[in-house]
Amino acid sequence: MSAGEIGPRASAAIAAPGVTAAIAAHAVTRLKVHWTDRIGNVLLVAAGIVLAIFLLAPMVAILAKSIEDKAGVFVGLANFVDYFRTPALAKSIWNSIWVSTLVTAITIPLAFTFAYALTRSRMRFKALLRNLALVPILAPSLLAAISFIFWFGNQGLLKDLLMGGQIYGAPGIVISMVFATFPHALMILVTALSLTDARLYEAADALGTSAARKFWTITLPGAKYGLISAWMVVFTYALSDFGIPKVIGGNFNMLATDIFKLVIGQQDFPKGAVVAIILLVPVAVTYVVDSYVQKRQSALLTARSVPYVPRASPAFDWAMTAFCWTIAVLLLAVLGMAIYGSFVKLWPYNFDMVLDHYRVGLVDAGVIVSWYNSVKMAFWCATLGAAFIFFVAYLLEKTRGIDPFRPFVRLMAVLPMGVPGMVLGLGYIFFFVHAGNPLHFLYGSMAILVVCTTVHYYTSSHLTALTALKQIDNEFEAVSASLRVPFWRTLFRVTVPVCLPAMLDISRYMFVNAMTTVSAVVFLYSPSTTLASVAIVNLDEAGDIGAAAAMATLVVATSAGVCLLYYFLQVWLDRRTQAWRT
Amino acid sequence: MQIGPRADAAGAAPGVTDVARAAPGVTDVARAAPGVTGFLELSHIRKEFGSFVALHDVSLGVRQGELICFLGPSGCGKTTLLRIVAGLEVQTAGTIMQAGRDITRLPPMERDYGIVFQSYALFPNLSIAENVAYGLVNRRVPRGEREARVKELLALVGLPDSGDKYPAQLSGGQQQRIAVARAIATSPGLLLLDEPLSALDARVRVRLRGEIRSLQQRLGITTILVTHDQEEALSMADRIVVMKDGAIEQLGTAAEIYGQPATPFVADFVGKTNLLPAMPVGEREVQVGAQRFACFIDGAAPAGGGLRVFFRPEDVVVRGVREDTPNSAGAVVERIEFLGAYSRVIFRIDGIDQSLTADLSVNDMAELRPAVGDRLRVAVPAERLRVFG
Repeated sequence: MSAGEIGPRASAAIAAPGVTAAIAAHAVTRLKVHWTDRIGNVLLVAAGIVLAIFLLAPMVAILAKSIEDKAGVFVGLANFVDYFRTPALAKSIWNSIWVSTLVTAITIPLAFTFAYALTRSRMRFKALLRNLALVPILAPSLLAAISFIFWFGNQGLLKDLLMGGQIYGAPGIVISMVFATFPHALMILVTALSLTDARLYEAADALGTSAARKFWTITLPGAKYGLISAWMVVFTYALSDFGIPKVIGGNFNMLATDIFKLVIGQQDFPKGAVVAIILLVPVAVTYVVDSYVQKRQSALLTARSVPYVPRASPAFDWAMTAFCWTIAVLLLAVLGMAIYGSFVKLWPYNFDMVLDHYRVGLVDAGVIVSWYNSVKMAFWCATLGAAFIFFVAYLLEKTRGIDPFRPFVRLMAVLPMGVPGMVLGLGYIFFFVHAGNPLHFLYGSMAILVVCTTVHYYTSSHLTALTALKQIDNEFEAVSASLRVPFWRTLFRVTVPVCLPAMLDISRYMFVNAMTTVSAVVFLYSPSTTLASVAIVNLDEAGDIGAAAAMATLVVATSAGVCLLYYFLQVWLDRRTQAWRT
Repeated sequence: MQIGPRADAAGAAPGVTDVARAAPGVTDVARAAPGVTGFLELSHIRKEFGSFVALHDVSLGVRQGELICFLGPSGCGKTTLLRIVAGLEVQTAGTIMQAGRDITRLPPMERDYGIVFQSYALFPNLSIAENVAYGLVNRRVPRGEREARVKELLALVGLPDSGDKYPAQLSGGQQQRIAVARAIATSPGLLLLDEPLSALDARVRVRLRGEIRSLQQRLGITTILVTHDQEEALSMADRIVVMKDGAIEQLGTAAEIYGQPATPFVADFVGKTNLLPAMPVGEREVQVGAQRFACFIDGAAPAGGGLRVFFRPEDVVVRGVREDTPNSAGAVVERIEFLGAYSRVIFRIDGIDQSLTADLSVNDMAELRPAVGDRLRVAVPAERLRVFG
């Protein structure tokens, strides 16, 4: 730099080589660490260690297990070779891939059209339609499978429409997964389509651009990253979901169900580990692509952008309205059938509406305990889990020091998105089942379910927290330090109050997901910590589909009720902070 | 290398003199004006970001009670230097002394300064009074005393009745004044202002300039102001540090920086300027194109090398210029921009292949009534021509 510089100073620097050399040889200056900052550093290191124990160690345990035989002797890649020589197992890979691809190919266009209608038409009741479309998020993925059995199963109401075909197997899996993934894709695409700058359209109009050309040159490129992101999310979801193929899959094998069968059915841990690793590969690929895409998307919208306001176009608006209501009605039909089925006395013989499944199937049979457990777990995830995630994001974003350690924590925070629940749960077994592990006492406890679920849904929450934190002026910490105020005072007096809406979002997200999750916890529950979603699987397996539907309905009702609670909390909060938020 | 009259004075070229001095930590009382001690001493500050060198060996003494301005284009290292003073950035090498205390390795919380950012950085959920009192609360100042201090500060910045409001209810200029009040609430020894006015619109900016300056003078608080706005620097600062590419180009008062720029960069960055390539002819004249002008080269010309001649647009004389007026030449008017109080005339001197600028007063214009294509005779007095090697 200095050699190439032209100017009066450069010659002075060159003239005194001894001094420059002395500076270069001198050790790089470092500030002393203030004791308050030291506390922040210690907390961050502690958080990093916690994440290493509860994310990295279980993953390593899977890797280790996959190269051992059942007796724990090192066998190299023998398990993998063995796996690929078993045609039935190897076929699952193909099944998983084509089913996931098909689900993606159906969900994305539907969700895109729906999102387009919400953002680019003057359709009425947008808020209502949006909320209806997001309803599946409140339900465990199993609910769709149960509902489709009621509709199209062996004793289904519309079985004849299949003309001798079967819903069990791939068709049921695909259609159930479309239901389950639709809202996830929709949320991403609505965000992507909302990010458009109206000035681009005004410029295009001024140049006399046709509607089709505007769509291909402005709308689609603008939503490109959102589309890729949605594609990844849906594909990953379909690939790693366990509940749906378990309930409606029949003899159709997929990777996620294979893991379950190998581990729970055959107790073949090494082979389970092999499948887990195979499941990690495509998910890891999509994950890498997605994080690359996320990085590029950030610059799309500038502070000067003008929000797009759609113009009236009767024909288009009507078409969109018709489409959206069709989708909404279909989604409600799926949800409604599960609820309806939970009240039917004896499907398909006696359609009297009774509470038998709730009273007899759940309460009297003692299964209701698992609902209570789920609420308890969801509560801890929504409080302790959410708080942990937020404070780690805070420590990462707003404290100073130990810079070499930060990338590790950052990696730990975004890694969970790339780990399917089944794989995470399996890793937990391998890691915590060892009696020699000092944390073995967690095994079979409620705590391990809370931790596992928090880690499973870590990344989305972390990103939400990060976004909220980034919106806060970066100089708050600098100002506080100049006023000699320790960081925690600013954290509790300013950062937390300002971030409360985001914290509520994270908390609600954790609650709903903890309430509905199956995959991660299916390996980890003990007789005293059975969960509602696992109970649905077990009830269905026992043939008690009515009680399974009742439990699914209960979960939906709980999630919906809690969301309502959060909504009121948010309204109250908005009113309280009205004075300073304008 | 430098031509300016202060070039040989230690104060104007700290880079050169500091290299000569071996030991860092030697306070350069010699450089400060008589009777004023160096309050803040930066010695050999170097900052690297990876392979990029943001600051090359910067040394600087700030006097007690002065307002010193770091001026330069974006990327010149001025904000980095301020953040190093604040402890928000860590210098790769170099030492900092403040009020006789070595603060080189002290974290921000152990240094003694108040800071104001371009973004104001007011806490949005706290009232104005709570914002101003933020640093006082932590120092266990009793409540009554605290409230009195907040009241006093709000009166000081001219917003006595805003204590119960929230930042979002104030205008940008008001918010910035509150940020200043918060920064000086704890009576720090040093006030750091990081582009404090850049986010404000032009009129507010001009008004706030004066307010901040008079507040600073009343309190006598040593202040560093970072800005890329030369007008701001010229109008507010006791002394200005012009920076470029991580090094100090010139240090001086506003009049020195404007009137005797040490380098072509300073001449060009501060104020508008005409810069022409020239060849020396003896010690007293330069050849520019086909014209020859008298000036004071002061032996600055490298042997046989080219020079650059510079003069301000307002240095161009047009009234009463005759054939025999020294340093005069015939010229053609190319363009005229009416700018209110004066007009900017773009012209071309015969035999010089470059457009030049003259700022002519209303009186000049009324008398000459120049039009595009007109010929006129212009002169630049020899003492107004500055020559760079």
